[in-house]
Amino acid sequence: MSTVAWITTRGLLGRRRFLLLLPLPILMIGVALIPRFEGVSPQEWAQPVLVAMGFTTLLPIVALIVGTGVLGAEIDDGTITHILSKPLARWRIVVPKLLVAIAVTAASAAVPFYIVGALASGPRLGIGLVVGSTVGAVLYSTIFVALSLISRRPVLLGLVYVIIWEGLLSNLVSGTRVLSVQQYALTIADKASASDLLNGNVSFAVAVVMSIVVTIGFLVLAIRKLSSFSVTGETS
Amino acid sequence: MSSPAGVIHDIGYQRYEGERLGRGDVFLALYAASLRTAFGLGRSFKAKIFPWIIVGVVAIVGIVIMAIRAQTGEVVIKYAELPEVLGTLMVLFVAIAAPELVSRDLHSGVLPLYFSRPLRPADYALAKLSALVTAIVLVWGGAQVLVFIGAAFSVKGFGNVMNELADAGLGVVYTALYAVVFGSIAILVASLLKRRAVAAAAIVGSFLITGPIVAMFYILPSETAHQLAQLFNPASLVGGVGDWLFEPSSSNEELGIGPFGPLYALVALGLIALCVTLLIARYRKVSKS
Repeated sequence: MSTVAWITTRGLLGRRRFLLLLPLPILMIGVALIPRFEGVSPQEWAQPVLVAMGFTTLLPIVALIVGTGVLGAEIDDGTITHILSKPLARWRIVVPKLLVAIAVTAASAAVPFYIVGALASGPRLGIGLVVGSTVGAVLYSTIFVALSLISRRPVLLGLVYVIIWEGLLSNLVSGTRVLSVQQYALTIADKASASDLLNGNVSFAVAVVMSIVVTIGFLVLAIRKLSSFSVTGETS
Repeated sequence: MSSPAGVIHDIGYQRYEGERLGRGDVFLALYAASLRTAFGLGRSFKAKIFPWIIVGVVAIVGIVIMAIRAQTGEVVIKYAELPEVLGTLMVLFVAIAAPELVSRDLHSGVLPLYFSRPLRPADYALAKLSALVTAIVLVWGGAQVLVFIGAAFSVKGFGNVMNELADAGLGVVYTALYAVVFGSIAILVASLLKRRAVAAAAIVGSFLITGPIVAMFYILPSETAHQLAQLFNPASLVGGVGDWLFEPSSSNEELGIGPFGPLYALVALGLIALCVTLLIARYRKVSKS
């Protein structure tokens, strides 16, 4: 584990900050327990819990907090200069930080997704959901890490993107689904679990190709942005 | 008797000779400054972008409703429905404004300076909260006033204008209820987090994650569960209070709240009281550390 990754992990999770990542997963599991013990069929409750709660809210919000936390927090505080002044290629800063963000996001999403999937239909669905949510974690983390290098207010931009684009449009307007991370993750989870509880809205090939394109595109963008990064003053 | 540990030397600075204002004036000054902060007034252009985008969208919706009303006489969205329809934007607005109001002060550690004045911790908390509530009422209530202006010039007769005024007035009061519920939750969450960015995400998370819980209660077999479902999300909770206040007849429908209207009102008041109590307790603790 490189020093950059170690520092990032400590900055992200140290000093009780990991507590921030707990409420959403716990709430998701708790909510899934209610219909499970009321005897409602999983056909009915899987959709609101897995899609509306998991893929539309938990995954992007956790990815947003973590993805903008690994780099954006240091840019905000100005402590990024300490790392930038070291003789390290810029991609060697971006890549470990991105990997930490992906690992933390994927881990905090995988646990509730697996448990809820297993409660709904069994381990197969759980594994499929873990695959799907991990793909989602990779995509969202890359986007938000790149976003924290593009803008000084990455979280607000990210929130607008998550609420308006992923939350409202991709569930209402069918045309934007081809450009929605949530739909890729859902489609891949559907394919991996072969369960009839999930139904992807885009084709599997589109989901895989677009996932790779989006990840590489935003990764390259993030590295280029950090290569030409200039430290500016406080912008209120 | 102990000897003095230090001496304050008079090095000849000019003395302050003016009147020293008390706690109430400090409260008002903090309230006014916070209200300006919510809209980024007195700050750089970058601090204005996000709040004013929201103000712009709400104003445009208000103008469109007003224009449709004035041209065709058709009521697209009633006054009381306006804050509900634009609820997502309200979540975004509090996520933008609340961290700006309270997380900034925590992050830069200026609170001891505030509390070295006559200002008490509860005053600080309430000044910030009332500034956010006022900001929300100004934006959403402003849109309702726009619609009212359009309606007042298109209806015939003084009596009808008075009816419109009563509806619009009730609508603004209802907006204020939304503002108090959303504002107190947002300020409470933001007061626990030093970093503005994290606070914004946490506020949106706390509003969004509770939405699917409502959907989940609707699929339970019991009808009582359906009628109580809306309690579990701040937006639908206030919506339930609105149903009870404004549409008593239609509340027997499938998605209604049944006979639980008073319970909704009680829970809403309880939620506000709880948030404000926790907020004040939070600042009591901050002021001692």
